[in-house]
Amino acid sequence: MPLDRRTFLKGATSGAVLFTVGGVPAWLTPREARAEGADLRTLTPAQARALTAYGEVLLPGADEAGLAHYLDAQLSVDPAESLLMIRYLDVPAPWNGFYSGVAHALDALAQRRHDCPFAELSADAAHDLAGVIAGGEVADWAGPPAGFAHFVLRADAVDLVYGRPEGFDALNVPYMAHIDPEAVA
Amino acid sequence: MKRMKMVDAVIVGAGAAGAFYARHLAESGRSVAVLEAGPGWQHTDLQSSLIWARRLRWGGERVATTGEHPFGYGFNAGWGNGGAATHHYGTWLRLDESDFEMRSRFGRGRDWPFDYATLRPYYDRIQKAVGLSGDAEAEIWRPAGDPYPMPPLATFGQAEAIRRGFEAMGMHTAPMPMAINSQPYAGRAACIYDGWCDAGCPTGALYNPLVRDVPGALAAGAEIRNHASVIRVTSRNGRATGVEYADADGERCFQPESVVVLAASAVHNPAILLNSASDDWPDGLANRSGQVGRGFMTHSVAGIYGLFKEDTEPFMGVSGAQLSCRDGYGKDREQGFGSYQWLIAPAMKPNGLLGMAVTRADLYGDALHAFIRRASHHMANMLAMGEDLPDPDNRVVLGEGRDGYGRRPAKVVHRFTDDAMAVHRHAREEGLAVMRAAGADEAWAGPLGTAHMMGGTPMGSDPADSVVDGYGRSHDVPNLVLAGTGLFPTAGANNPTYTMYAVALRGVERLIDDWDAVAA
Ligand SMILES: Cc1cc2nc3c(=O)[nH]c(=O)nc-3n(C[C@H](O)[C@H](O)[C@H](O)COP(=O)(O)OP(=O)(O)OC[C@H]3O[C@@H](n4cnc5c(N)ncnc54)[C@H](O)[C@@H]3O)c2cc1C
Ligand code: SF4
Repeated sequence: MPLDRRTFLKGATSGAVLFTVGGVPAWLTPREARAEGADLRTLTPAQARALTAYGEVLLPGADEAGLAHYLDAQLSVDPAESLLMIRYLDVPAPWNGFYSGVAHALDALAQRRHDCPFAELSADAAHDLAGVIAGGEVADWAGPPAGFAHFVLRADAVDLVYGRPEGFDALNVPYMAHIDPEAVA
Repeated sequence: MKRMKMVDAVIVGAGAAGAFYARHLAESGRSVAVLEAGPGWQHTDLQSSLIWARRLRWGGERVATTGEHPFGYGFNAGWGNGGAATHHYGTWLRLDESDFEMRSRFGRGRDWPFDYATLRPYYDRIQKAVGLSGDAEAEIWRPAGDPYPMPPLATFGQAEAIRRGFEAMGMHTAPMPMAINSQPYAGRAACIYDGWCDAGCPTGALYNPLVRDVPGALAAGAEIRNHASVIRVTSRNGRATGVEYADADGERCFQPESVVVLAASAVHNPAILLNSASDDWPDGLANRSGQVGRGFMTHSVAGIYGLFKEDTEPFMGVSGAQLSCRDGYGKDREQGFGSYQWLIAPAMKPNGLLGMAVTRADLYGDALHAFIRRASHHMANMLAMGEDLPDPDNRVVLGEGRDGYGRRPAKVVHRFTDDAMAVHRHAREEGLAVMRAAGADEAWAGPLGTAHMMGGTPMGSDPADSVVDGYGRSHDVPNLVLAGTGLFPTAGANNPTYTMYAVALRGVERLIDDWDAVAA
């Protein structure tokens, strides 16, 4: 179910995004949404698993910070309201096709090389495969350009882990907000 | 089609140029309707977050970017009240005298229809009204002009570290002139150096259209219609008769007027003119010269980064720059023709397109954590901005397909000239040498980037090879005025907005003086 603009902004200003947990609507941060197992609106469970596993390899902590729920929430709004970095990168909206394409390519690559989906790879195998994808030249990669996929997913993970006030705290950097950002920003 | 009430002036775009024209025309007693494709931003909307800041960027119809060096439209375009200037960084440099006389002095590019001396009083007046912080004497490269009304902004660790490098190489630095208050000015607060300018400065310390022109225009009676996307300008008997637009509900509306001011950016002004083709104007409205869309320019960007032992406080300061070096502004050099400048020590955050993590896109996993932790306290950065000469093949054209209103999308085709690329490479090498001379433990450079959009509807004296005159008035359609950075015949290497305002002030004052003749 797509979020309409008014609902999205209402949540945004109150500090959360509207997720549904067990059929009940709730205003949650991506971290909370993940912890409570909130429903996904746009990504399929398999896509969410692949993107989460990949994001976690790119920047450990992205999973717990709610990467899949963050991406899902941002892909569920009008592109003009989206906060994803991909908005800057001249990729035509909507971006669902990009993310589902990356998820599919991750699983297909892992399947071909290791006989399992990306999320089931060992830590070492996932790390090595992420290195191959980062290199950009992957003959058996069937999705959006591999190097670009690395760049975008990595940026999403960094946004979530370090782009928020708690990320600044972890770095011992003062956030110094004029106006406090909404929970997803 | 819904027909709106006649107004004296309809202005397309409530960005930097549009809001400026709206305020001046409304204050001169004209009835003004502003049609703005994006939301009606207010200061209180501007959340301090590089993630939230993305909502300020263009959210309208797709703009395709192609060519060997595609222009980064997604990052460089804004929408909503204030346009890209709502989240611009306030780095306000004048162009150099030579930038206005490129053809006569060097046989390159174009001449502007006026010289620096003609524009100087407008720069001086804008500077006084806006309030610039800087040190005119320390800027040995600065053309003649009044001193800045405020002392320079404070500097922090990374600026001091990089300054050492320039000094060691026998080069000069000076405080960057900024449209940011170093002390309270014009009823606005002083900057507190938190580095959130990219998300828009909600205190008004940084001058943007939400500070003065948008509220001023509204106070003087102008109406701003948001989510109003202009489709085309209609014309009859050689004159513009009105503007067709889609309103917030998607309904097609017609706004009749006496004068049209197109201020929809260097990409959308030409796109609107090309979409306004008719039997009388088969190649696009006001395009007898064939120059509409041609000569689109952007600045090349080279990011140079370093890690230092000392604490550089990279998160402190402003998003623009702390220091300036324009030793490389001279046009003619062995390594390539054209100017470049250094923007030294912009404040950095961990994330975002100009953030720390992006500078080392090769790192991931624990290595990325370790890098971000170190960079947060020990990184320094600077950007070289290089000149792009006008090339007729770099242009805004209309792409394939039509939307529900019959409008074709804008497409930007861009390739840096060989000279521009040579200047970019030269600056990159120089930057790495500066970083090393500054004592950086590690120094590295980022990939080629693009900043700012200029040209595409160039000013000129000759109607055969330019779109508008030196006041932004169409050579072909007497009641059509263009405003914004699209008017620039050449780009120089300095950030364009200060010059855009000086040109707009000259244009709007002439329009007010000549109103009866133009609107007749
Ligand atoms: C991140 C960033 C930092 C910058 N920093 C600096 C800096 O430090 N110094 C500097 O000099 N410059 C800087 N700039 C550039 C500066 O923002 C621009 O030069 C300036 O905004 C250009 O003014 P404009 O009026 O031509 O266009 P804009 O300010 O972009 O205004 C154009 C307006 O037209 C609207 N529009 C477009 N199409 C339509 C349509 N069809 N119908 C209705 N409305 C439409 C848009 O929504 C927009 O609001 C920066 C830009 C960016 C993106
Ligand atoms: S650093 Fe200064 S100019 Fe930038 S947002 Fe903060 S107060 Fe405003």
